[in-house]
Amino acid sequence: MSKLNLDLPEVAIRETRLGSITGYCGSAKELVGHARCGKLKEGNHQFNQTIGCSVAQAICTVVMIQDAAVISHGPIGCLGCLHEFDFTYQQNGDLRGVANPTQRKLFSTDIEEKDTIYGGSQKLRTAIKEVYEKVDPKVIFVATTCAVGIIGDDVESITDEMADELGIPVIGIYCEGFRSKIWTTGFDAGYHAIARKLIKAPEKKQEDRVNVINFWGSDVFGKWFKELGLKPNYVTPYSTVEQLSRSSEAIASVQICATLGSYLGAALEQKYGVPEIKTSAPYGIPQTDRWFRELGKITHKEAEVEDFLKIQKEEWLPQIAKIRKKLEGKTAYVTGGASHGHSLVAILSELGMKAVGAAIFHHDPLYDNESVEADALAHVVEDYGDVPHYNVCNKQEYQLVNSLNKVRPDVLLARHGGMTLWGAKLGIPSLLIGDEHYSMGYEGIVRYGKRLIEVIENDEFVKNFSKHAMNPYTKWWLEQESGKLLGGKQNG
Amino acid sequence: MPKETLRQVAIYGKGGIGKSTTTQNLTAGLAELGKEIMVVGCDPKADSTRLLLGGLAQKTVLDTIRDEGEDIELTTILKNGFKGIRCVESGGPEPGVGCAGRGIITSIGTLERLEAYAEDLDYVFYDVLGDVVCGGFAMPIREGKAKEIYIVASGEMMSLYAANNISKGIQKYANKGGARLGGIICNSRNVDRELDLLRAFSKELGTQLIHFVPRDNVVQRAEIRRKTVIEYDPQAAQAQEYRDLAKHIDENDMFVIPKPMASERLEEILIEYGLMDGLVDDYKI
Repeated sequence: MSKLNLDLPEVAIRETRLGSITGYCGSAKELVGHARCGKLKEGNHQFNQTIGCSVAQAICTVVMIQDAAVISHGPIGCLGCLHEFDFTYQQNGDLRGVANPTQRKLFSTDIEEKDTIYGGSQKLRTAIKEVYEKVDPKVIFVATTCAVGIIGDDVESITDEMADELGIPVIGIYCEGFRSKIWTTGFDAGYHAIARKLIKAPEKKQEDRVNVINFWGSDVFGKWFKELGLKPNYVTPYSTVEQLSRSSEAIASVQICATLGSYLGAALEQKYGVPEIKTSAPYGIPQTDRWFRELGKITHKEAEVEDFLKIQKEEWLPQIAKIRKKLEGKTAYVTGGASHGHSLVAILSELGMKAVGAAIFHHDPLYDNESVEADALAHVVEDYGDVPHYNVCNKQEYQLVNSLNKVRPDVLLARHGGMTLWGAKLGIPSLLIGDEHYSMGYEGIVRYGKRLIEVIENDEFVKNFSKHAMNPYTKWWLEQESGKLLGGKQNG
Repeated sequence: MPKETLRQVAIYGKGGIGKSTTTQNLTAGLAELGKEIMVVGCDPKADSTRLLLGGLAQKTVLDTIRDEGEDIELTTILKNGFKGIRCVESGGPEPGVGCAGRGIITSIGTLERLEAYAEDLDYVFYDVLGDVVCGGFAMPIREGKAKEIYIVASGEMMSLYAANNISKGIQKYANKGGARLGGIICNSRNVDRELDLLRAFSKELGTQLIHFVPRDNVVQRAEIRRKTVIEYDPQAAQAQEYRDLAKHIDENDMFVIPKPMASERLEEILIEYGLMDGLVDDYKI
């Protein structure tokens, strides 16, 4: 692990940069204990049912910038599922005060057989020009795909050349799917491109501005920061190129999920000296306190933070206690990415519930800031105790169903579409909340708790559903250990 | 971070013309001048550093990645040879499988990530496979890499055809980026009027004949002992020739966008210098 190198076009992948893994079966405590003792051993995946491509994560970091256009340089299918970002953008605009969310400007160069022989350079140049003329973007990103990576199209030179010609930034994102098995490498590739070529050197520090590296959640930071005399600069969805390019002028960066913002947070700190709040995101009471205090320290708002926390406690602690009574002793299983999945464990623990298992999509033993404080899972284990049946599992549904069937929790918590259906099939009430900000802070615990009560109380549908559902997995598989096909100790 | 004055040089030329031999002898000469040098072999055969290392002592970048994964140390793939010249072999798949071009992209990317382009380097030399057959083989002359290119040629017709073709590739890259032709190195095959022919050819391309390296069997004697001539027999006249070549390159300030010629014009030059005349009875390889 070393300093980020923003001079190179390509980002170093997570496997080598952070030593991240996608396969592990054991307990959370054991994983935390082993994380920084040598190198984590990747599970030997003998069977993969589903897997994502980092192209989606790379494009995710740029396609929702209001005035950006994105070109996927590759076969048309590489862009196949990414129209969902347009849907997400339209749906969540209201949360961010974007009243008329425009259609997302996402294009493909449509590389065909003959282009793989003669090279796709000319097609890319034409596409960049056409997109520039058609949608008048303030920046054009070019995301690479496997095909153009292999034939060796010189995307870096072409984008530089076109940037000179058009007078706007044209930036390559190198995210060929074959480079990494960990799809969050795509986030790093996107942020690497933004940090290298979009963010400008600061002209003047903006003393109240704090970068919030996030997805498209509700505007809780706006409300909180107002109390502290600060303003959020949301990065990157719904930002404008102008706002984003001035991220270097902020006085601090926070992130809603260390695995999302790891690279950009570290890049802003290393290149422009914008300090990053190292401790993991504010989920659960102890972590919310730690997070706000670190924010207060860095932004010199210690007194304001103490007042704020005092008011929060007075307002929300009684309500949390009330909800806790209803949920006390219930069990839950969590699926989600690292580190938001870890944060969900904190929330349900605050509500008096017990996390009996989790399937988290990958694990980073350390983030780019190299601070142990950023390890959300370590905080969770320390604050609330161990999570048994802790799987690191990149959405392998066969593993999820196996675990879920064994632990049979009272509720399944998820953040990604497509995961909760397995709860329903097994008759387990499930809650999917995509808005990561929903459960943050003190009020978030109350909000999430209320939704959980609704979900657990209204289980009629899933109970009936499970009676009629077909399970594609055999009895034999459901009786095996969930990590049977991961090799190593899990197999023994 | 490499220093601003780092010179990155790519050596091209027809297969078998002596690129690797010339590159190694020339870098040995530069090393004698006190220069810090890295030689990156970009040929799947991985024989670009044999004379500097005293044998095929090097595990290639791509073999290492295949056996150990991408999490490797620089010391595994970079070995110090004659006078501290840092030697790397990109390597590649065995003939007939995979994609050697992507191999070059991956291995140069790996070198960058592992910070092989160190601050103290004066020169990086890329010894590239005969022709720029695909995008991957152009990697060494992309933006930010080699800006200086030398073509090794001889008085033989096919080598000049190849040099002219390579110039077309350089022209394509030069128009967009910073790649420039620094000159033609003649690795003599004792063809009649070779010096005149090479001078005329270089002039027509808009460049210079930077050095005429005469043919001398001491090169072969040194090679069989896995050494450059400079190491094997420092007093030999041929060693001095390589030192001169090194000096000419070190002092070179003529970098041009080549003007490749139509094949008719190339043949005219060949006829003018008598190559065609002797073709029937005197042409030998």
